[in-house]
Amino acid sequence: MKEETKLHVQEDEKHLLLDHNYDGIQELNHPLPSWWAFLFYAFIGYAVIHFVYFQFLGGPSLRDEFKKEYAVVVAAQEEFKKQEGEFNPETYAKFNTPEHIKKGEEVYVTNCVACHLEKGRGDIGPNLTDEYWLWAKGTPETVYPIVFNGVVDNGMPNWSEVLSKEEIYQVVAYVQTLHLTHQPQGKAPQGNKVE
Amino acid sequence: MNSAVTHRGGKLERFSYDDQIVRLFIIATVIWGVVAMLLGVTIAFQLADWHVNFGLKWLTFGRLRPLHTNAAIFAFCGNAIFAGIYYSHQRLLKARLFNDMLSKIHFWGWQLIIVLAAVTLPFGITTGKEYAELEWPIDILITVIWVVFAVNFFGTIIRRRERHIYVAIWFYIATIITVAVLHIINSLEIPVSMTKSYSIYAGVQDALVQWWYGHNAVAFFLTTPFLGLMYYFVPKAANRPVYSYRLSIIHFWSLVFIYIWAGPHHLLYTTLPEWVQTLGMVFSLALWMPSWGGMINGLLTLRGVWDKVRTDPVLKFMALALTFYGMSTFEGPLLSIKSVSAIAHFTDWIPGHVHSGTIGWNYLLITAILYYMVPRLWNSKIYSLRLANIQFWTATIGLVLYIVSMWVAGITQSLMWRAMDASGKLVYPNFIETVIKIVPMYWVRAIGGTLVLTSLIIMVYNLYKTAKTGSISSEPVLEAYALDDSSVEHGASAHRKLEGWPMIFAVLSLLAILVGSAIEIVPAVLSKSFIVKMDVVKPYTPLELIGRDIYIREGCYLCHSQTVRPMAHEVLRYGKASEAAEFVYDHPFQWGSKRTGPDLARVGQKYPNMWHYRHMYDPREVTAGSIMPNYKWLFTDKADYQSIMKKMNVMKTLGVPYTQEEIAGSFAAAKAQAEIIKDDLVAAGVPAAILDKEIIPLIAYLQRIGVDYGKSEAQQ
Repeated sequence: MKEETKLHVQEDEKHLLLDHNYDGIQELNHPLPSWWAFLFYAFIGYAVIHFVYFQFLGGPSLRDEFKKEYAVVVAAQEEFKKQEGEFNPETYAKFNTPEHIKKGEEVYVTNCVACHLEKGRGDIGPNLTDEYWLWAKGTPETVYPIVFNGVVDNGMPNWSEVLSKEEIYQVVAYVQTLHLTHQPQGKAPQGNKVE
Repeated sequence: MNSAVTHRGGKLERFSYDDQIVRLFIIATVIWGVVAMLLGVTIAFQLADWHVNFGLKWLTFGRLRPLHTNAAIFAFCGNAIFAGIYYSHQRLLKARLFNDMLSKIHFWGWQLIIVLAAVTLPFGITTGKEYAELEWPIDILITVIWVVFAVNFFGTIIRRRERHIYVAIWFYIATIITVAVLHIINSLEIPVSMTKSYSIYAGVQDALVQWWYGHNAVAFFLTTPFLGLMYYFVPKAANRPVYSYRLSIIHFWSLVFIYIWAGPHHLLYTTLPEWVQTLGMVFSLALWMPSWGGMINGLLTLRGVWDKVRTDPVLKFMALALTFYGMSTFEGPLLSIKSVSAIAHFTDWIPGHVHSGTIGWNYLLITAILYYMVPRLWNSKIYSLRLANIQFWTATIGLVLYIVSMWVAGITQSLMWRAMDASGKLVYPNFIETVIKIVPMYWVRAIGGTLVLTSLIIMVYNLYKTAKTGSISSEPVLEAYALDDSSVEHGASAHRKLEGWPMIFAVLSLLAILVGSAIEIVPAVLSKSFIVKMDVVKPYTPLELIGRDIYIREGCYLCHSQTVRPMAHEVLRYGKASEAAEFVYDHPFQWGSKRTGPDLARVGQKYPNMWHYRHMYDPREVTAGSIMPNYKWLFTDKADYQSIMKKMNVMKTLGVPYTQEEIAGSFAAAKAQAEIIKDDLVAAGVPAAILDKEIIPLIAYLQRIGVDYGKSEAQQ
């Protein structure tokens, strides 16, 4: 193909053309753009200052910042436990309604089915539909602390770290609706029979 | 053609260029380009819908993603670099390539490496180190072929008929030297068999070396050679002098010197000592202007010819590529700021960022140089400017969809991960909620990727027709004067003199990259105080080691990280923040760089064995809405217990404190531990035949991750 070989050089840059030529490529020698040069040196300067401050002049480390952040979270959690750790029958009554139970079912499906399977027939976790109980006694006031605090030895998580107060009451109310439904293909009974 | 050389007394010599090798590399570029992007589109659809692996183990995301990245970087970009370098290098030096045979070995050797990658990675033969997954025999082959390339390249320089080397060649030199250093140091591993090896580094050290390599693969494989190509093809296509020689000098040396330090920005908030993290961050910020120096010099070279940019596909693609280069090299430093990394790291923002570079800069620039070279090498003219135009818009729209969808997905998910309420609880404690939310964005990305692939196919057709309508003429004989003292410029500046001494130039480039490398890496490898030891952390049992190799084989690390950052929301979600000492037996480290699924650093003993059994068979049985593939072959394929003794021996060589008795009894110990897990599963109704299958060691490994320190009394 035919090459167009004439080099385009603007009038205002002719004096900047260098005597370099590589395969027809020539070079101008424009000065560094001033904004570019400014930012170039500014960032190098910033790099030095930043490094010295954080490594030698006592700037906070990531771990320091984490400790501060985490302390606030732990305090908030403890406050929550203090306020909501005890079962409150009045609160429960408020949540023991069909529409809250429906929400409770959603909470159950998202969080509990992995171990207790749908409708509480039990798998990794115990069957919730028979009259046998490992820790609770089948009543809301005995199920509540198990959900709230978990059972470390059995792998039941501490749901107070995950679920809100509303969600815990809702799911406890929902689990009550499963009690004594004796779902088909349920897990074999575990624990003590509660009359 | 010899008009450019002023006769100063040397002998007039006749020579020709080896253009056939350039044609071969061009053909390989387009073929591998299609393969690489097809793989990319496939895995993009797999993230949108997990069924797209068709239940075949060698098509799962974990095995195809390494093939996609290797194909895109080393096959597509690699061949394009070699084509462009061999084309321009000869012309800039007025010399034929050093040796035709070396050129051929280089070409066929490189294709062999790619084919070997394609037949090993889908079978799970991998080192488990991102962007360096190829196993040790291929690593050695890469080294040999790279040396062949280097000899051919520097041999040509020695035989040059041009005194000074042009800025394009500076960038090529930095590329060749640095890639060699990176590849060799990062690939140091001890073989267990022909298809398996363990990295000599462990944990934090491995992470540091790996990301020093990984980041600089971007720097010296996807940036410096392409800047070199830009410096040749932009002024050639525009018939314009390069904007600023001074800027070339400053931005070249600052880029090469600073880039090498930036790797640790991939490891912010990890257990890497904080001074190294801070170095990674501040050097990344300092890198912004050196990167933009290249963009400015390219775009301002187009001064006065912007009317041609509208019509000439070469310049049009070049201008767009430079613009995306500018965008990604702004986004990169931004993402390196610790507090930004806290949000963006492990999210889809990062693949978005990577692709604005690889598609926006590399693919578009490759397009430009192919549209420049193909008509010239096949004595033709571009078949259809209209098709080139359609390619331009298809690629641009596809890429914008890709980038924007990943911004949205990444930021949305990150905000959900970190959302906490007033009682100190996560608002979205179930990871899966945050995944389901962004799946629509995965569809958008897959469609964007498909458009980019389509644009590539349009180009392949256009180039094929271009070549078809032309013909290959015999190599024209050229004339130029041999180099002699008469071309030495008297009173030249120091840098100008240096341009006349290419070997010294090469040594100085090497020194420039060694400074940062040494300061960051040497203490990690040599200093005993780099990691505070922890007595509770013990080596893996033989069965866990077998399981870990299955984990690596399946590429789990491509979607699951194994490091909890010191942030309240991560500690709430996963457990205690990770400590450096936890990883001292991890050859290679498995921290990962993306959380498509949740972090696994504290997964050990979090769920019962049965949970993992179900989850690996069909993740949706325990996690509704999961996008993880099924791993059903783990339930039928037998685990490899035979090589465990060899593996333990290699680990011992690497410093893992196994005793001779432990090694001698490793087979029996693995079998005994397998029995325990089997019994537990059988109690839950699983058939006893599961005993010798791969799922058993994998469960053993998963149940061990992060337990030693995670379940210990030690407070964080």
